[in-house]
Amino acid sequence: MRLPVLIRFAPEVGRQDGWGRLEELTASSARLSTASALARGEKVFLSFQLDAESFKSLPAEVLYEEGDDDGYRSAELRFTDEVAKRRLARALIDVLSR
Amino acid sequence: MAALGLLCLDPEDRQKLTLMAGEAGHLVHAAGRLAEAVEVLRESRPRMMLLVDGPDLDAAQALREVLRISPLMPVVVALKRRDAGRAVSLMRTGAAEVVAPPWTKEGLQSCLLKTMRGQGTAFSIVQAPARRSGAALFFLAAVVFFGAAFGTSAYRRRERMALEASQVRTSWDLPYKHPAGMAFDGKDLWVADWFSQSFYAHDPGDRSIRRMVHLTAQMPTALSFAGDTVWSSAASGAVFRHMKDATFKVLETYRGAAPHAGGLAYDGLYLWTSDPVKKRISKRLTDPSLSVIATYPYPGSGEPAALVFDGTALWSLDSLNHQLLRHNLERPDEATGRFDLPEYASGGYKPAGVAWDGRRFWTVGEKLPRGSGPARLFQHAEAKP
Repeated sequence: MRLPVLIRFAPEVGRQDGWGRLEELTASSARLSTASALARGEKVFLSFQLDAESFKSLPAEVLYEEGDDDGYRSAELRFTDEVAKRRLARALIDVLSR
Repeated sequence: MAALGLLCLDPEDRQKLTLMAGEAGHLVHAAGRLAEAVEVLRESRPRMMLLVDGPDLDAAQALREVLRISPLMPVVVALKRRDAGRAVSLMRTGAAEVVAPPWTKEGLQSCLLKTMRGQGTAFSIVQAPARRSGAALFFLAAVVFFGAAFGTSAYRRRERMALEASQVRTSWDLPYKHPAGMAFDGKDLWVADWFSQSFYAHDPGDRSIRRMVHLTAQMPTALSFAGDTVWSSAASGAVFRHMKDATFKVLETYRGAAPHAGGLAYDGLYLWTSDPVKKRISKRLTDPSLSVIATYPYPGSGEPAALVFDGTALWSLDSLNHQLLRHNLERPDEATGRFDLPEYASGGYKPAGVAWDGRRFWTVGEKLPRGSGPARLFQHAEAKP
């Protein structure tokens, strides 16, 4: 799964929006590949579309990040909003059950 | 070096990108109009296309045209103005990657490398053979000889693979990567995955996922069923007693009751926990404080990663030695049997959980290095090992 994703940063950081792809996605975590710089512990807000369902500004925390062989950043993210996690779990079950 | 088609209306930008891609080692076929780009696509057969999106060219429209002609062509779009929403929209349309301005050699190169590594199927045109001379005939004979030898070997290999395929399969990849524990509830095999903080119920017949229970505040390390109750442990050291309902509602939390708990097993009276770090097994009452009645040193030389009770004996899974150990229920520090698990002999998986379905053992293994691939479910011999 390589979902296109819009990355927003916390307003106080004053950073421009970025983009990337979700290489993996579970109800509580994701692996993100992006050209944007990320820092461990940083808060990000992800917007993406899973099948017919749109997720807007899903809050997540960068657990781990490293550079890959191509010069992109590969990051492990953890979603922090419990309500959004449940909604994502439902959407994933819907996709997986087909 | 890869051949790269470039569509850019602005001559200055076109020259700049041609130079950058050339410096990065690519052969660039540049075009100033969409019609020229289509010509490049048909005549030069580039490895990928680079389109420039700006006020003078709608890259989305050009992208659709390129993919209409060559659906497998990886397409990279370079934005003249940074717009993350536009970038995501282009990726949804079919762009492999989008390069942000200001364009740099490094940024462009990493984007092109990413695209080449992740996209598409390479095609090549087979050239017609030249007229044959005497030497060519000799060469042809040699090719026929080696071809026949290779063909025979391939045929035997195919036969062997068909034979292997006809044999009963006993392991399956699972759609998650970090299994921590396993249990059987009388109907389904349940696997706890710590990373996704979820329990997955698999049909033992076709291994399909029947149910998933997401735990919002718990990173599970083990689970065990006891009638309508579910016991689970978490990385925090807490043990939970759940109701076996749709959401596995937590009935009781025993904070710090079992730090490092790798395995949980309920024998009908006592709750057993294993500690792979301190290498010991504890016997507990299911009273309000999960009181430890006795603690026994683990009799194996490895780590007790999981526990299971089969109705008569307590078993542990030794994750380092890839063994199942049968314990004397009265004195679990005494192993009454040690059975190797040859399925793990290759070292590709680390056993993480074990379950007993009444006829056979099942184990789940985590791919090594950790998280490098899907977890695997193993079905072991029907009789007790």
